Amino acid sequence: MAKMKKQEEFEPKIVVFACNWCSYAGADTAGVSKIQYHHNVRLIRVMCSGRVNPAFVIKAFEQGADGVMVSGCHFGDCHYIFGNYQAKERFEMLKRLIHLLGLEKARLRLEWVSAAEGGRFAQVVNEFVEDVKKVGRSPLAPIKT
Amino acid sequence: MLDVGRHPNIELLTLCQPTKVEGEEGNFRVQYLKKARYVKEDVCTACGICAEKCPIKVSDDFELGLAKRKAIYIYFPQGVPPVYTIDPEHCTMILKGKCGLCARVCEAQAIDYNQNDEERTINVGAIVVATGFSQLKPTALKNYGYGQYANVLTGLEFERLLSATGPTGGHIIRPSDSKTPRKIVFIQCVGSRMAKGDGYPYCSVYCCTNSIKCALLAKTHDPDIKEISILYMDLRTYGKGFQELFLRAEEVEGVKFLRGRPARVEEDPLTRSLTIMVENTETNRIEPLAADIVVLSTAAIPSTGAKEVARILGIEVDSYGFFKERDFHNPTEATRPGVYIAGSCSSPRDITDSVAWGTATAVKALTHMEGARIAQKEIEVEPIDTSGEPRIGVFVCHCGINIAGVVDVEEVNQFAQTLPGVVYSARMLFACSDDSQREIQYKIKEYQLNRVVVASCTPRTHEPIFRETCGLAGLNPYLFEMANIRDQCSWVHASTPKEATEKAKDLVRMAVARCHLLQPLESRQMPMNPDMLVVGGGITGMQASVDLARLGHKVTLVEKEERLGGRVKELSTFYEENYDGQQLISEKVKQLESAGVNILTSTMVKEVNGFVGNFEVTLQSLQHQEKTSTLQVGSIAVAIGSDLFNPTGKFGYSSFPNVMTNMEMERLLKEDSPELTRNNKESKNIVFVQCVGSRNKKDGNPDCSRYCCSVAIKQALKLREKGAQVVILYRDIIAFGKGVEELYRKARGEGVIFLRYDEEHPPQVIGKGRATSIKWMFSPLNQEIELPVDLVVLSVGMVARKVDAEQIQEQLKIPRSLDGFFMERHSKLGPVETSTEGIYICGCAQSPKDITDSVAQASAAASKMAVMASKEFVELEPTTCVVREDLCRGCGNCQEVCQFHAPELVETPEGNYVSRINEALCKGCGTCASLCPTGAIVARHFTDRQIDKMVEAMLTGSL
Ligand code: FES
Repeated sequence: MAKMKKQEEFEPKIVVFACNWCSYAGADTAGVSKIQYHHNVRLIRVMCSGRVNPAFVIKAFEQGADGVMVSGCHFGDCHYIFGNYQAKERFEMLKRLIHLLGLEKARLRLEWVSAAEGGRFAQVVNEFVEDVKKVGRSPLAPIKT
Repeated sequence: MLDVGRHPNIELLTLCQPTKVEGEEGNFRVQYLKKARYVKEDVCTACGICAEKCPIKVSDDFELGLAKRKAIYIYFPQGVPPVYTIDPEHCTMILKGKCGLCARVCEAQAIDYNQNDEERTINVGAIVVATGFSQLKPTALKNYGYGQYANVLTGLEFERLLSATGPTGGHIIRPSDSKTPRKIVFIQCVGSRMAKGDGYPYCSVYCCTNSIKCALLAKTHDPDIKEISILYMDLRTYGKGFQELFLRAEEVEGVKFLRGRPARVEEDPLTRSLTIMVENTETNRIEPLAADIVVLSTAAIPSTGAKEVARILGIEVDSYGFFKERDFHNPTEATRPGVYIAGSCSSPRDITDSVAWGTATAVKALTHMEGARIAQKEIEVEPIDTSGEPRIGVFVCHCGINIAGVVDVEEVNQFAQTLPGVVYSARMLFACSDDSQREIQYKIKEYQLNRVVVASCTPRTHEPIFRETCGLAGLNPYLFEMANIRDQCSWVHASTPKEATEKAKDLVRMAVARCHLLQPLESRQMPMNPDMLVVGGGITGMQASVDLARLGHKVTLVEKEERLGGRVKELSTFYEENYDGQQLISEKVKQLESAGVNILTSTMVKEVNGFVGNFEVTLQSLQHQEKTSTLQVGSIAVAIGSDLFNPTGKFGYSSFPNVMTNMEMERLLKEDSPELTRNNKESKNIVFVQCVGSRNKKDGNPDCSRYCCSVAIKQALKLREKGAQVVILYRDIIAFGKGVEELYRKARGEGVIFLRYDEEHPPQVIGKGRATSIKWMFSPLNQEIELPVDLVVLSVGMVARKVDAEQIQEQLKIPRSLDGFFMERHSKLGPVETSTEGIYICGCAQSPKDITDSVAQASAAASKMAVMASKEFVELEPTTCVVREDLCRGCGNCQEVCQFHAPELVETPEGNYVSRINEALCKGCGTCASLCPTGAIVARHFTDRQIDKMVEAMLTGSL
């Protein structure tokens, strides 16, 4: 029974944009410390969270992402000084945008994770996956054939 | 290691031992014995067939006897050079002339049983000794049961159990029954800090933090491990970020920390479980503590053979057998000129400090070599044509069992072959090993691959290596892409292998998708200005300047105060030396002058422009506000030091005149103030309070300030000489450097009283007008104690400079960590580098340090700068942003957002404005590109299309 249920469980697809210096490194740290987390996420490495064009996020949703996370360094730690402030500004705009697209706000997340915070990375991902599971498949996702 | 193996200036002589050293600094003649390997180094391809076939199994010393290896072997998989060795003590062919199997199976014909040891000589200018340390085998310390009880391990053995490439594949199991332990107990100071018996009196430095790390790894590794306890005497978490690690272990992961040295370990012969008799610090009773595994943090001891090395090199050892340092402010110099020491061979040290020490020796060694230059690799290869359709090669790495133990590597490999554009795909045991690197080059040529994907570990560490490999095969290094299927897949989805395999396939698909759109990029060369600037004229900045100027570089040292010497110039005589801080500084000033350093006091940095190799610095005189000057340099060292925590309002400081800081005490000692000597036979009661503004999340420095325990001990000893009664109130005595533990013991012997307080119950200073007593909760007795005082000394922590550090951060664009200190590139591998090339940090600007550690780090920064300056050109990363001027409307958004002033609006002949990006200034973050309303800015190597394509490949499966 338990097994059956597991198979049916909805497995969301989640895109994570992570900056090279902190968050991508934090994800590596989770790996090095073998901290386990949900397998639903795929990371896309960018040099800085400021590189994440809102259009990337929108396109990801259009192509069926159930959730998108943007992750960068803590304020003050950005390798390029203020890139993460830019990311934050755009994130506020994105929140409004996805609302217009009819998406729940649980599907979008911004997180600061440092290179040392492997545990935090895993925790943030796990929370996010759980949250997205709660809201279910994205209404924009193509019907599975 | 790979770097060492590949560096054109390094000739590796392995299996060699020096036998005789003649000559002097600048011109040594070293005789050495090259031991027979019985395998031809230049022929062996490390295919491993020999070891597979070899019938002789012996205990594997790399795995500390926890596993077996063959008589022909590689010491460990990533070892350099990657060639096999025959162990002559076990090989039956060498011993008895019987077998010869390996020679028969070796296709490369690399085996040569007739090799002999050879005497050789080499001429060198300087010698660096980095022979490391050994670990105490605690068999003699019978009460711990090591060697008797199967489940008592040393820390290093436990590390092997934690290692994914270790004998158990990273599973923590009890040696007695291979079951997962539920309770693990670490015992600290096994053989360290033992004045009597079979131990050593000194502190082994790294073990407290190492045990915390192991405990954390074990906890997160296996949920069945329920209880981990660490038994310790003082918790010596002295380094940057160590305190945070401890707090995470205690507060988040629930690791128990129990103070006390256990009396003995006992075993239940039936279950083979262990019981440790230990004092419970809360109840003060000896109680049993149960454990399934006991891990002994054993002492670091001089390496076997260190005395012999000392004899051959003609250098001295200390009473334990560690190499002697010239003195505390020349810690990397051995007692013979021209011989330098690095790492733990002179005293136990952690990785970060060892790397700094090792780096420091480079600049010292360079003084004996004139005109040393980095050899340029001459590569002449046929370039691969990249213009046509993508021809992609995919290499999927097993990483031993790190990846293959979870992910179905063959399935990923098969999958890769189905992807459009992929013309070749294969699996590799270790993609980063030397033979795999050769294989990749070979395949690039054979299949004319014009794009390469390696699915293995993280690009953050390995991309440079694979890029170089591509370059060696004639492929533009920017046509390479990695899929991180280890750190971000197999390691974190160990319990769901099916899903992990699917994820790995997705990651490979995404990498291949991006690969289709990659463009070849050429790095640009800019001239390198060999001149240097050092900011900050304390002992650290002075040392860095002297080191560099001695190599003949033009060095400018700026100091904002009127005099050089920072805090050190105010120190009283150093303990057991007959000179004080001022004398040490005067000595350094002399060295600065004779080396020809351009010293600018009362001067500040006003502005910095440019980039590595080409900085333009504007300096401002603080005496004549209007006076500024400019300076062109190629690299900059930041040595602005730290501030001391200001305890105003705490412990009666500033309300009572007889409460002072340790720095103020230094002044009294220097003046030999009558306040300190006893009057009318009444001795003075002097109480020190440690950790004032250190190891404190709310106030001051969250980490240990590293210098204050040893300073308090030295001050206490001097005060005892003057007849004072001295009490030191502490949380942990962190006496971790060379000789400090011994001083601590001496102080106790001389009657200095050490009493503990808890962070939650800090001492209170009581008095009216003057402090008259100090009161605190003495936790071991659970009782409040009040002591009369004549003087209270607050051992204040070091905190980051506020205004100065902010300015420097702003000017140089280098990040600081949350504690305000400058952030190093990598805590272990890059302790003096910053995220900006050409800018280095050293001394207390990076984190608190004592004089010894500061000057070592200063020399390390100097080494890095000297290497930089020896290059003719700087290579600039081509992954910058460019503007497509036809699309640019000249809105200026990019100019506004860029912190590095790279974009600039220029007027076109038509009278419009367009943005142009100065590539030398652009760091390639791409923030401007995502802000550009017309999409005119292209972030090279991270273009919109490349990123979109990855998203698409992941979500829709299309390429
Ligand atoms: S580099 Fe991490 S957010 Fe900018």
